[in-house]
Amino acid sequence: MDYIIDVKELRKEFTSHSSRSGLKGAFRDLFTRNYTIKTAVDDISLQIKKGEMVGYIGENGAGKSTTIKMLTGILTPTSGHVRVNGMNPHKDREQFVRSIGVVFGQRSQLWWDIAVQESFRLLKKVYNVPDEFYNTHMADVIETLAIEPLLDKPVRKLSLGQRMRCELAAALIHNPPLLFLDEPTIGLDVLVKLKIREFLKEINAKYGTTILLTTHDLSDIEALCERVIMLDEGKIIYDGALRQLRENWGEGKQIQFSFAEEATHAELQSLTHDHLVVWDQGSNASNWTASVENNEDIISAVIGQVVGAKKIADLKIVEITTEEIIRNIYEEGAVRNG
Amino acid sequence: MSYLSIFFQYAGQYLKTRLTYRADMLVEIFSDLLFQAVNLIFILVVFGHTSLLSGWSKDEMVFIYGFFLVPFAIFGAFFNIWDFTDRYIVKGEMDRILTRPIHSLFQIILERMELESLFGVITGLGIMFYSGNKLGLSLHWYDPFVFVVLVAGGALVYAGIFVALASIGFWSDSKTDIMPMMYNIGNYGRYPVNIYNRIIRYVLTWILPFAFVGVYPSAYFLGRDEWYGYAFLTPVIGLIFFGLSVVLWNYGVTKYRGAGN
Repeated sequence: MDYIIDVKELRKEFTSHSSRSGLKGAFRDLFTRNYTIKTAVDDISLQIKKGEMVGYIGENGAGKSTTIKMLTGILTPTSGHVRVNGMNPHKDREQFVRSIGVVFGQRSQLWWDIAVQESFRLLKKVYNVPDEFYNTHMADVIETLAIEPLLDKPVRKLSLGQRMRCELAAALIHNPPLLFLDEPTIGLDVLVKLKIREFLKEINAKYGTTILLTTHDLSDIEALCERVIMLDEGKIIYDGALRQLRENWGEGKQIQFSFAEEATHAELQSLTHDHLVVWDQGSNASNWTASVENNEDIISAVIGQVVGAKKIADLKIVEITTEEIIRNIYEEGAVRNG
Repeated sequence: MSYLSIFFQYAGQYLKTRLTYRADMLVEIFSDLLFQAVNLIFILVVFGHTSLLSGWSKDEMVFIYGFFLVPFAIFGAFFNIWDFTDRYIVKGEMDRILTRPIHSLFQIILERMELESLFGVITGLGIMFYSGNKLGLSLHWYDPFVFVVLVAGGALVYAGIFVALASIGFWSDSKTDIMPMMYNIGNYGRYPVNIYNRIIRYVLTWILPFAFVGVYPSAYFLGRDEWYGYAFLTPVIGLIFFGLSVVLWNYGVTKYRGAGN
């Protein structure tokens, strides 16, 4: 089997009971309950090859974390087939987790009260890493992440960025071939983000580590991942190259106008009525954005028509960002489903 | 073997952390001792009025209490997971536990151990020697070994009941008062069961077998041969209850829902 992650029709349902309103309802709840089944992950299939860096994105509650938790053996799937590193994560849990590293951005792997290196030592014991390997491998990891000066500090005294770098090092103690990162850059400043991205690229190149990454920050994905998998309401709505996503969806350009006086939608619409232009109001009535096709003639014509009629304070042409592309996809996805 | 070495690594780390907070540790040991003293005084006061209770003398009662303290101390040091639901299920710490290559219950025992509870073993032994002396009990060469087996059995009974209760958290994370209630019921095990009515005696023997933590095994050392059958059943009951609780736990882990973020 070539795939490091091989998932077919994976499904996870959660049952919860919904309570009726009022005292009478509460009383009835004691005897009969209304159960509702919520499908968090809805028959998804995906394959990931060794050495790939894949971005796994979706809105809150789309089922990202649930998928990751099933792939790491934390949750038992309701149905479906999962093979990760050739094992069934939940069945062979203790054996399986030796072959993966996990970083949850909002949850620490390290012991709060003890020095970072003591945490590392405990984890080394837990993963039964031989001394020799630990010494050479960790020296390397510690150096690349520049956490040498933090090693003798207790975790509670570290800043978020420092802690995150230590978390990454902790997840790599046993040099796993597969790394799961759930929101690894949440709340970090730009410099630390850059450092972490650099590091991930490095271990990917050096050890061929496969990385599956969920994040809200699309710049992470742009910097790291060739491939994205997009999830909405528990279903995969896109699985493919990030580049292609941009080409297919990000054809247009946006022209941002700042007028010296206020403008109305109708007024602007009539100015540019002979082209296909979508006007959106910005932060106030004098800021407007025109979305147009990516065609020099049209762009020039629209600018010309607007500038000829209204006084301009500022003008900017921007390409549609990945973030907007994704928002568009989600909006269309919602239309399509509803 | 590797579990043992992991245990020592954790225990070493635990002591290191505790020693940096010396004051906390002293306060905890002191309050433990105070708690034990209050219980002992209670027994002494009760027996200030009568000298015999259902055929048990004051010194025998004190001896049973002393024995009870030993398995209870071991339980307190390793299986005191009354806050499991809150800490691991509601806060989602179980996620982290499940990404490590050691049995989940063992990891929680390692993380939640409170080694200072083991001081109770010393108090217990002291009380047993004191009252045993007054009773004129003599020690056989094999008694220390029997003692270890019976203490282990008693500790496993306690551990089994509390692990089973903690496992409920996998199905329902709502707050219950079942844990404190169970601590109270556990205390009944340190009095002779024949002072209770039949139903309570049955419950304390077969359903929540706390009697196997105190009175039954003590009967062996007190030479009460009418209870020997129960005394030797202690390790068996301990293994059965602990084994069942681990099965329940393992099944519970597959029902773990994770904390929503």
